Amino acid sequence: MDNINVLILEDSPSESDALIKVLQANNYNIVGLATNHKDALTLFYNNKVDIVIIDIFLNGSPDGIAFAETINVVPNASKPFVFLTSSTDRQIFERAKLTKPFSYLMKPFNELELLYALELAVEKFYAQNDVFLGDEENTVISEEYLFIKKGKSLKKVLIADIIYIEVEEKYCNIITEKEKFVILISLTKILELFDETIFYRTHRNYIVNTKKITEIVPSDNLIILIGGHKVTLSEKYKDIIKKVRTLK
Amino acid sequence: MKYSVKLLLLFGILTNSLFVFSQNIENTTIFEEEIKNRSRQFMDKPDFKKAQLFFLEKNWDSTLVYTMKQLSLPNQNQEIKNYCHLFRGFSLKEKKIFNQSRKELSKISKEFIFYYKARIKLGEITLEQKEFKQAIHYFKEIEELNDNQLLGIKKSFVKHNLGLCYLHLKEFDKAEFYLLESVKLQEKQKDTLDLIGSYGDIATLYYEQYKDNLAIPYFEKAYNLSKKINNHQLKQNTALNMAVVEENRKNFPKALVYRKEFEQWKDSLNDQNKVWEVAQLEKQFAVKEKQKEVSLLQAENKIKIAERNGLFYSAIVLLLLLGTAIYFYREKIKTNKIILAQKESLDELNATKDKLFSIVSHDLRSSVNAMKISNAKLLENLATKNLEELDALLHQNSSIANGTYNLLDNLLHWALLQTKQSYFEIVSMRLHFIVEQMAYNYQPLMLDKKIQFENTVSKKDIIFADQESLKIILRNFLDNAIKFSKENGNIKVYSESNDENYCNLIIEDSGIGMSETTRNNLLKETTLLSKKENEKTIGTGLGMQLCKSMIQKNNGKLDIKSELGKGTKIIVSLSKKEQNG
Repeated sequence: MDNINVLILEDSPSESDALIKVLQANNYNIVGLATNHKDALTLFYNNKVDIVIIDIFLNGSPDGIAFAETINVVPNASKPFVFLTSSTDRQIFERAKLTKPFSYLMKPFNELELLYALELAVEKFYAQNDVFLGDEENTVISEEYLFIKKGKSLKKVLIADIIYIEVEEKYCNIITEKEKFVILISLTKILELFDETIFYRTHRNYIVNTKKITEIVPSDNLIILIGGHKVTLSEKYKDIIKKVRTLK
Repeated sequence: MKYSVKLLLLFGILTNSLFVFSQNIENTTIFEEEIKNRSRQFMDKPDFKKAQLFFLEKNWDSTLVYTMKQLSLPNQNQEIKNYCHLFRGFSLKEKKIFNQSRKELSKISKEFIFYYKARIKLGEITLEQKEFKQAIHYFKEIEELNDNQLLGIKKSFVKHNLGLCYLHLKEFDKAEFYLLESVKLQEKQKDTLDLIGSYGDIATLYYEQYKDNLAIPYFEKAYNLSKKINNHQLKQNTALNMAVVEENRKNFPKALVYRKEFEQWKDSLNDQNKVWEVAQLEKQFAVKEKQKEVSLLQAENKIKIAERNGLFYSAIVLLLLLGTAIYFYREKIKTNKIILAQKESLDELNATKDKLFSIVSHDLRSSVNAMKISNAKLLENLATKNLEELDALLHQNSSIANGTYNLLDNLLHWALLQTKQSYFEIVSMRLHFIVEQMAYNYQPLMLDKKIQFENTVSKKDIIFADQESLKIILRNFLDNAIKFSKENGNIKVYSESNDENYCNLIIEDSGIGMSETTRNNLLKETTLLSKKENEKTIGTGLGMQLCKSMIQKNNGKLDIKSELGKGTKIIVSLSKKEQNG
């Protein structure tokens, strides 16, 4: 599991300091702090950013919204973001609201409010509402990462790193090369949101990353994966053999 | 004597011509009837028809024109020609163009039914032209005819005229014979008018021959007869004749009487004419007057109609004006009412604002004053390095700053709420986490007061509210709960979700509680701020007011349950369903 990379756009040093302090305390990784629109864009494109915290007012003008508008229109590059503001001015809000999905945080805020706002922004951005606050789930799936709520903060896992997933009731065991952990997510949601050309179901309890397969032993109903993990292949899902590219 | 005879003769002729004229009138009707009946067969000829019509109407000029037109047409029927000549002869005679008339009349052929009529006319013309012999020739011709051929021509008339001719020719014997003949006939016919003429003429005849004894009785006869008739002219003539006769007899008194009578008749004739003229004039005048009256009435009518129309239109205009006036008046009243209502609400708001202003400034002043005193102490203790006291003072300062901040925050939000400037969007949210986030701020404070805090709001409770306003509500109620709690107290926040539409959020403390009056005052729907009861512990009331307004705006409800000394339960009911507006 990796920390979430956060880019901060905030012109007031005292506020950005407080922000960084809280974020770092909750295991967020600050990839950059920009004080203006231009710097923010540079930092945004040069770093792997998972979420952006944007102060609406930079040096007295609502440049923050302009930045959000900019990254919002770039295809495949837009990321979740949270607006920071000390004003509830309606006109500003109406404009900010147009940068959907819209999440904001009113200053002054405490630690909980900040973390909550970040989680909400991720949920909204990937259109999987009400994940982190409920009891049933704790994971949001994006194209590249799983965003998992762990304690008060968020973590991410690169989907490509997953070798296989084992389902146990409403829990899923995620096995990567380095670690093994449990997340709360339904199997149907995984099947729905994972790339089906890569992840195949081999058993009612197993989903396998085909790129991590080292050997299929149909006689034993076994699939051997990188790292020596062994997964059962049931009769029902034997079609996988045809789909996997094998050397002949 | 000679002179008077001549005068008499002149009068005789005068009577004669009048006599001929009257004869004419009598005969014309018969003659006209005859003309009408006998010429009917030629009515298909337009010119002849017109000529005949004009002839009967005695329009001589037009008759002449149309007969000329008829005669100028080729292939004429002899009878039509005869008629035309007859019409022309008569017309010309009437116009006193005697020679032309004679020419026309002599063109009429013998077979024509009115041949003798034409002959007698010729006779009359020649008589008038004093060609007495020629006239006698014409009249003789007629005299010899039998009655059937006369066609209404009176024999007496012919004989009379013959007599006249002889009289003029001084052949007195023949004249006497014919005149007496005509008198005989006229006496038979009882033709008084003719008789008077004839008597006059006979008298003249005798008078000419100086046979006064014979003449006078005739004059007297004529005179007496004339008394019976109504013809003024005749009366005048006979009276004059008598006057001349009496004058010649030197009987002047009688002559004078007759002369006077003559004058009288003459005058009366004139008078009659005058009266007639006057009557005519009066008639004309009356007609004119009537016409005037009629036109006056017409004009009056017109004026009346115009007046009526004018009244009608002006009434309509007035009505319209009245309508618009009423409309505008009503509008004005309406506007005034609105303005008045607005003024009242503005006054109220202004009063609230003023009060708020005074309370807030008072609060701020005391807070800052407390801070000032605290800071002075802080400096003192810093100088004496009394570290324990420093810590306590700093904590105190911090709490003062916190309180002041909360007050200012509420003030700001209240102002924003009043002007409806702030962003407001109702969204779904999990109540538990909002409570958690808000309670987080108060953890140090509660820790300080050793207050046990518990958030048991279900994580499943989802409510619909505007996030920022809900946070303000929670902040205020938590702040109050802490403020009114004693040390080692409890604050519990929990939810009851039994109702279908509302989720009740309950903030319960074990603080000092409040009286029923305070409770009621707090719940009262008023924009006015509640009065301060206890200056030390109770704030401006602004927070409570703000919470009430915000709960209302979030479609929620507020209830308070409290017991003095035991604690207070604030119950905020929040909507579970999304509502429009």
